[in-house]
Amino acid sequence: MKVTILQENLARGLGIVSRAVSPRSSLPVLANIMIATDEGRLQLSATNLEIGITCWIQAQIEEEGSTTVPARTFVDLVNALPGDKVLLNLDSSTETLNVRSGTSTNDIKGIDAQEFPPLPVPDMDGAVQLNVADFKEMVHQVAFVASTDEARPVLMGVLVIVDKDQITMAAADGFRLSVRTTKLDVSVTEKINIIIPARALTELARIASESDKVITMAIPKGRGQVIFRLNDVELVSQLIDGTFPDYQQIIPQSYKSRTLISTASFLKACKQAEIFAREGTNVARLDIKPAKGEMEPSEIEISAVSEETGKNETIVEATVDGDGVIIAFNVKYLREALEVINTPNVALETSAANAPGVVRPVGEDGFLHVIMPMHLG
Amino acid sequence: MSRTILHLDLDAFFCAVEENKNPALRNKAFAVGGKPNERGVVASCSYAARKFGVRSAMPISRALRLCPGLIIISSRHAQYSEASKSVMEHLYILTSWVEKISIDEAFLDISELTESPERIALGLQAGIRDELGLPSSIGIASNKLMAKIATEVGKKGAKGDKPPFALTIVPQGKEAQFLAPLPAEMLWGVGPKTGARLKGLGIGTIGDIASWPEEELIRQFGEYGRDMAKHAQGRDDRPVVTEHEIKSISQEVTFSSDIRDDKSINKSLVDLSAQVGRRLRKKSLAGTTIKLKIRWPDFKTLTRQTTLPNPTNQEKEIKETALKLLKKIRKSGQAVRLIGVGVTGLGKPIRQLELWQPESEKERKLQEVLNELKDKFGVNAIKQGN
Repeated sequence: MKVTILQENLARGLGIVSRAVSPRSSLPVLANIMIATDEGRLQLSATNLEIGITCWIQAQIEEEGSTTVPARTFVDLVNALPGDKVLLNLDSSTETLNVRSGTSTNDIKGIDAQEFPPLPVPDMDGAVQLNVADFKEMVHQVAFVASTDEARPVLMGVLVIVDKDQITMAAADGFRLSVRTTKLDVSVTEKINIIIPARALTELARIASESDKVITMAIPKGRGQVIFRLNDVELVSQLIDGTFPDYQQIIPQSYKSRTLISTASFLKACKQAEIFAREGTNVARLDIKPAKGEMEPSEIEISAVSEETGKNETIVEATVDGDGVIIAFNVKYLREALEVINTPNVALETSAANAPGVVRPVGEDGFLHVIMPMHLG
Repeated sequence: MSRTILHLDLDAFFCAVEENKNPALRNKAFAVGGKPNERGVVASCSYAARKFGVRSAMPISRALRLCPGLIIISSRHAQYSEASKSVMEHLYILTSWVEKISIDEAFLDISELTESPERIALGLQAGIRDELGLPSSIGIASNKLMAKIATEVGKKGAKGDKPPFALTIVPQGKEAQFLAPLPAEMLWGVGPKTGARLKGLGIGTIGDIASWPEEELIRQFGEYGRDMAKHAQGRDDRPVVTEHEIKSISQEVTFSSDIRDDKSINKSLVDLSAQVGRRLRKKSLAGTTIKLKIRWPDFKTLTRQTTLPNPTNQEKEIKETALKLLKKIRKSGQAVRLIGVGVTGLGKPIRQLELWQPESEKERKLQEVLNELKDKFGVNAIKQGN
């Protein structure tokens, strides 16, 4: 293999694939990045067996070939090279990759590309076309609530349902649920219902740029995998096996009070409360006060107490429709929900101190967030 | 409501600490105090020195005249405070109702504990001796006054030059009877002056005081006479005042003989977890860190802990966590001398509710009902079947 490539392009490509490298795997080759020539371009791949990322970059190919090199060494080196042309030259008898740029020359010991796990041949039949901007927003609004608890693998994923021209993403960690639905430009004929690891979606949202415009998603039959394709990038992820708990059933069908409040003011109040709440059990108390009379204001009082550091109390003007209630939430959950809401106003629906609270952006029906309160004992 | 108060007094505390530091002192006549040329006094003296008539608060010069070979050791208060702290920590394992009255003395309200007072006392004495190498005497009675006098009586009754390790229990209702033959000076507040005045009135024993009409005592001694009359009957309703902020709740058991049987050990752990859970709930507390303590027959002691995502005061969660910790450090069939379970990281029992009501939530509701029943009808009112 003999290839000339722009340092900038190589560094960008490595930035994309290196997130899938598995540095502490028992399989040494998984700590490597595969480099191969592929129809006039250079292909870079990395995988941790759960997620695999491949990226193609423009290159000048003099001689075909492939190898794998330790990701850390290669990535750090390329980032340190002067921003100019980089010449990659593989000595296949010793499996050593010579990396030359300007006056710098380096030899990196590789492992034969044959040992790298084979990448799936994409089968894009029945693929779903997703708008990149919509996809990124959906992931941003949903994936963060997915659990990190390996005891409940199903909750470490995002449930993705595609039905006709509608796509829904849902994730929950046992204490909160985030659901986002949006329309597809092109309908699907067959209903899709899969659980994708939250990490795969988050990675994909990070990689996808606006210039990609469209993400193609395919679920090849019987492989337990999902493949996403962008212009120059492909991401393959294992699906999570199992049944996602029935989330519809826990979305409250009614409420006793609905509080309309400025998203920014509510978020600010939560951030202040969190400064004190985080010292203890993360609890913020919400005292939702309906108007006392016709011309009286209604408000919501957010407060947090820390035994050590002190306390906070913020009153935010709100339109309270219904009964007053005092309810406590993990303020981090509340803050994180408000941070992904784009509308100027938000509605908080509550029924009782021990019943779930629902947060909805006002004027945007596609998103809802359910948070279980905390029991104050 | 009847109470059970335990008074613990370390025997010749400073000397015992010095002996631990320097075993060559064991069985020797020595005293802890200021330097002899500085006109210091004896702060504490060994039981061997007591045989010569050496006493606490005696000028060292006099002590040396009584016992010419007396070894004098300068006080090292930092060390005594350290040892005292370890003793108090031992007491807090038993209950959070501990009132420290001096460096070597404390009251414990053990009314809520289920074990018999005698077993508690023996366990405490053994634990403090085995773990800290310190001898102690204990008095148990229905109030603070009686418990303290019981300890004194026990210590006085001990003979020989060894620490007394006394244990004296005054049964409920026998207070006045217990006090009657004791000299009036053993009553709180009766010093040499009052003692002399009492003698003038023909009063020598506490029983004599008790037989005097209260009005007469008030006439003679003012308000103090009222207290004297009450105390002479063995009555005292001052509570045990604890300043200690509860930092942990734990429970441990020392087996009368080492246990190897997995089933019995697991059963002890389950019982201890239940007791810890009950005490947490009673105080409206919950904790995030579960601790397991284990002592092997060679006295090597290990503790292991795990922190849970949410505070708990539930028997089941404490038990399951403790059993997991036990599995990590104990091989099946390995002999155990002591086992303990504790919960720290205490706070209000705030808990995050879950979207899908899990088993633990149902368990909690069941426990709430069971606890109510137990509070009403006693701990044996309802038990888990097999």
